[in-house]
Amino acid sequence: MGDFFTYSVILGIFVATLKIATPLLIAATGELVAESSGILNLSIEGTMTLGAFAGFVTANETGSLWLGLLGAAAGGGALALLMAIMTVTVRVNQVVAGLALNILGLGAAFFWYRSVYSAGGSIQIPVVDKFEVVSVPLLSSIPIVGEVLFEQHWLTYIALLMVPTTWMFLNRTKYGLELRAIGHNPEACDMRGVPIASRQYAAVIFGGAMAGVGGSFLSLAATGLFFPDIVAGRGWIALAIVIFGNWRATWILAGSLLFGFLEATQLALQASDVNLPYQLLLALPFVLTILALVLNRSRSGAPLSLTIPYHRGER
Amino acid sequence: MTTADATAPGEPILIVDEVSKHFPGVVANDAVSVEIRRAEIHCLLGENGAGKTTLADILYGVYRPDEGRVLLHGQQLELSSPRDAIEAGIGMVHQHFELVPPMSVIENVVIGTQAKQWLDLSEARSRLDDFFADYDVEIDPDAEVGRLSVGEQQWVEIFKTLYFGVEILILDEPTAVLTPQGVEELFRILRRMRDDGLTIILITHKLKEVMELSDRVTVLRRGEVVGTVNTGDVDQRDLARMMVGRDVLLQVDKHRRDPGDPVLEVSDVHLVSDTGRGSLDGLSVTVGAGEIVGVAGVSGNGQNALFDAVIGVRHPDTGTIRIAGTDVTDSPPHRIAELGVASVPGDRINQGLMMDFSVKENLVLGDQRDQRFARAGFLSRNRIDSFAEESIERFEIKTPSATQKTRTLSGGNLQKIIMARELSGDPRLIVVHQPTRGLDIAASEYVRRRLVQERDRGAGLLLLSEDLDEIFQLSDRIAVIYDGRIVAVTEPEDTTLEEIGMHMAGASGADASTTAAP
Amino acid sequence: MSEPTTQAPPEDPADGRDLRPNLGAMLSRSGGLRLERRLDTRPVHEFYATVAALAITAVLIGGLVALAGVSPTDAYSALYDGAFGSVESALETLVQATPLILTGLAAAVAFRAGVWNIGGEGQFFAGAMGAYFVSTLVGPLPAPLLFVAMFVGGAIAGALWASIASVLLVRYGTNEILTTVMLNFVILYGLSWLLAGPWQSPKTPYYQTERMDAKTFLPRFIDDSRLHWGFAIALLAAVAVYFLVQRTSLGYELRGVGVNRTAAAYKGIHVGAVVIAVMAISGALAGISGAGELLGLHHRLQLDIAAGIGFTGIIIALVARLNPAGVVVVAIAFAGLLNGSTSMQVGTGIPAALVEVIEGVALFLVLLAAVACRYRLRRRRQLHD
Repeated sequence: MGDFFTYSVILGIFVATLKIATPLLIAATGELVAESSGILNLSIEGTMTLGAFAGFVTANETGSLWLGLLGAAAGGGALALLMAIMTVTVRVNQVVAGLALNILGLGAAFFWYRSVYSAGGSIQIPVVDKFEVVSVPLLSSIPIVGEVLFEQHWLTYIALLMVPTTWMFLNRTKYGLELRAIGHNPEACDMRGVPIASRQYAAVIFGGAMAGVGGSFLSLAATGLFFPDIVAGRGWIALAIVIFGNWRATWILAGSLLFGFLEATQLALQASDVNLPYQLLLALPFVLTILALVLNRSRSGAPLSLTIPYHRGER
Repeated sequence: MTTADATAPGEPILIVDEVSKHFPGVVANDAVSVEIRRAEIHCLLGENGAGKTTLADILYGVYRPDEGRVLLHGQQLELSSPRDAIEAGIGMVHQHFELVPPMSVIENVVIGTQAKQWLDLSEARSRLDDFFADYDVEIDPDAEVGRLSVGEQQWVEIFKTLYFGVEILILDEPTAVLTPQGVEELFRILRRMRDDGLTIILITHKLKEVMELSDRVTVLRRGEVVGTVNTGDVDQRDLARMMVGRDVLLQVDKHRRDPGDPVLEVSDVHLVSDTGRGSLDGLSVTVGAGEIVGVAGVSGNGQNALFDAVIGVRHPDTGTIRIAGTDVTDSPPHRIAELGVASVPGDRINQGLMMDFSVKENLVLGDQRDQRFARAGFLSRNRIDSFAEESIERFEIKTPSATQKTRTLSGGNLQKIIMARELSGDPRLIVVHQPTRGLDIAASEYVRRRLVQERDRGAGLLLLSEDLDEIFQLSDRIAVIYDGRIVAVTEPEDTTLEEIGMHMAGASGADASTTAAP
Repeated sequence: MSEPTTQAPPEDPADGRDLRPNLGAMLSRSGGLRLERRLDTRPVHEFYATVAALAITAVLIGGLVALAGVSPTDAYSALYDGAFGSVESALETLVQATPLILTGLAAAVAFRAGVWNIGGEGQFFAGAMGAYFVSTLVGPLPAPLLFVAMFVGGAIAGALWASIASVLLVRYGTNEILTTVMLNFVILYGLSWLLAGPWQSPKTPYYQTERMDAKTFLPRFIDDSRLHWGFAIALLAAVAVYFLVQRTSLGYELRGVGVNRTAAAYKGIHVGAVVIAVMAISGALAGISGAGELLGLHHRLQLDIAAGIGFTGIIIALVARLNPAGVVVVAIAFAGLLNGSTSMQVGTGIPAALVEVIEGVALFLVLLAAVACRYRLRRRRQLHD
């Protein structure tokens, strides 16, 4: 056990924390924007999977990782468009719609993957050259902090920047104010001429695109690979982080980092010679998610009209 | 306050010309014509369902008229949304506020008004300060709206509307949520606004308000205009006749009898509600067998908590509740129901019925384990069917069949389903909340007559109502609820509307003569 | 002035949640007809709408197949042959339908009460593990009792696993969707730990238990098919769920809780108790599904025995509109897809994963159809403009 707490292991945990938190943070922040508009999109797991594959296949075909990101956003956004049609326009129960599209997203990614990469029954999986770690000049040479914060993937920097940006958007811009107002009381906004449906569409599609990008971090930055269960529950954890973070951007950052840290610690434990069954360590994030939801029960930040469809004229 | 002066005071500013509006099965407005003059306070008076709100919603762009037209400054209005109406200069404050409770006053005001990308609250803030200072309203612009009192929220609503610079302000039953004192303040300010040039349309069914405030009044009945008169030319009796279409308001015959043993004893109950508003603060009230105790009060003074505590949905923090001598303070709802307690909730659709169930299923709601309708955990379909047929006949429920989905029925019939269900077991205590709200006159009369019949059978009734006429008509004793406690108990013969009104406002807590021990 | 949308009077109590939708407004602009909201939907309409949605699904998927360069008729006939083309394949379809019926019922009964149990997959595992565990305890019991004990063990294990979520929901208001999903992962890793350690067969390097004793095998109906008694149990369960939901007091309460929790509470229904009961029933059904697969087909615990059966059950329940008889029909149809997809893949090269797309699209369209059949087309009244 003594070997475990070495400098390099601990540093490694912190570096990995940010890396692991990245897809969670991107997806959860996107979902925060969607939920702020009053639409609960439960299909994040499927959207991330579709995004992971769309990003992978685009990058593989075009040779450009950045186009891959664009493809991932498009894939996630397309699935979210269906979500918006079902919940905003047709007003299917949001839980049911989310479950349906989750399944559709997973199925589409799986089918598409098999169609592209299985020739004659055997599967040939290419590998893309994944995103390299980007060292920020000067800053990365700061001891410890530099290594932890400034030697990360582009997407990690983007994810971290998303937090203040999203906060500014929601709290300091006209559209953000109106979006939150829609999530609390769409009728009040409708009466004042704020377009409800188009704003909800935009928010849900943005959320889906972000989930897609978050998923593509796994295929384009973390592994350079795609496999059908690559997301492995992270979409659900992202959803839990939004609740656990009480619909606040800063708390969502904290939640993502916490899960990243726990997962990183778990991985470090696996790699070390500490004698713990790794299966139980793998189960840990999910147990902790449940615990976090039980322990932090404050729902004061929840949009008041979350999951309630809006019908003009209903009073 | 107002924009361009296209019309001089007293000239017609808004003309409603033969406007009709149909809904499936209902004619809400039938060739309605009204002329609104600049800088007047014009009341639209009528019973529930007379078509007042529909007319206002047409003026506000919520609905389009099926026929007829609306002229503003002589120009035909084409409104497809409230936003259009606001831009044309017509604003409306609905009965249900269009506010965003978790946001601040100022944020609520600027929703939909910001031109720039980045929020700029400075202009709104200075105008808000001026407005509140001008009319002596004290509200913190940064306060969270959800934490304001209902009266304060109404001010936010009014300012929100005026912020757009409207010249016509429509108010839908603005006094329903106010104490008499709050009403007075509102009226004082509305008069000043009129004098400043604002045109005000006030929707109400209260004669007194019409007489007190308005310059002219248009009376609607069953979607038609009965007439428009100068308020100075008529008295309350004239208006009542126009409104109801007959001379006297309905009277329910009742014969006073001495109450029997107490069936409900609520003593010193404290119950803090989640929102902090509408809590009970040492409330005591007693209902005897064979009497109706009417609890009068402005909404939000603890009526919901009292209703919930008596039927066991919420439990008091301290104090006791007894039903026919049995302590039920901490009993769950089904235990209390077993003791012969029936309840008619104020929110029929959310609290009283399963709108997606059939009529017959709703008729046995709560009794699904009762041996009248179930054996060994299985529902007895024959018994449910025959009970349903019998109830539909006895309570004159108008439905195509017992298997009809409840959602399709009208408000009066929904209330009859609840009454049929609740009265079926000959309950000894009936707790009733707003039993006739939203019902038409015939249905209201029916409901009230049934309640008196139950009293005559020997049941005790606790009647919670914001409708003072109803309280006076039905009650053997009147208790006034204010701020979570009963501040006065009296008999209808010994008091007046005015006195009860004073108590409802919490104005005379020291008056010992009427604050009888419960 | 553009066309009026469908409207209802504000005084009308029926002016509930679904009036005046954008959809109606959108479509009504297209011609001389207008959409009107039905307050009362009839089961017949829902049935036709569902059938129509499935037909459109077939067309869309056909298009997808054609895009992949394969004739849709070839693909569909390969699919059909694999699913129902012969007695053997039809019986094999029923074999695959067996666990799906049960997980479909598990989802349907929970969703009926508005309890979103997404944990069918985990409860399936719990059921299989429960049955296996019981078999290790009560091996010497005679056959009928042994089966009863193992199925009861599976049902209880599924119910208990599901109850973690319902207890947290009732006690702390923890979102049951997320907890049931998390519990799926937890039990999967828990099982993999068991299979790598305490329960691992010493004879193999694989993560699996030893093959169970032959007397724990569920009897088969005929020699040539794998169709086992589990299928009969699944059908009985469907009948039982129908009776539970439609004919019992508890069923009345669970439907009430699903429709309007506030009114249920006001009328003395103990909502928390109903939620716990419903989740336990749902978990038990999924558990029986797992036990049946273990005892009828696999005879040893492995990590791949579920293969998405719990998740597919959710789709089945929703496509069947939570109707128990519908669950049986849809489960058999989906099993046909699964079963036929292999021969489709062999015959035409279309990946068997197409099945998942079909399921997703079918669910999507059935949900749309469910909304659509709440409207009817009416010729528009002549209005002046």
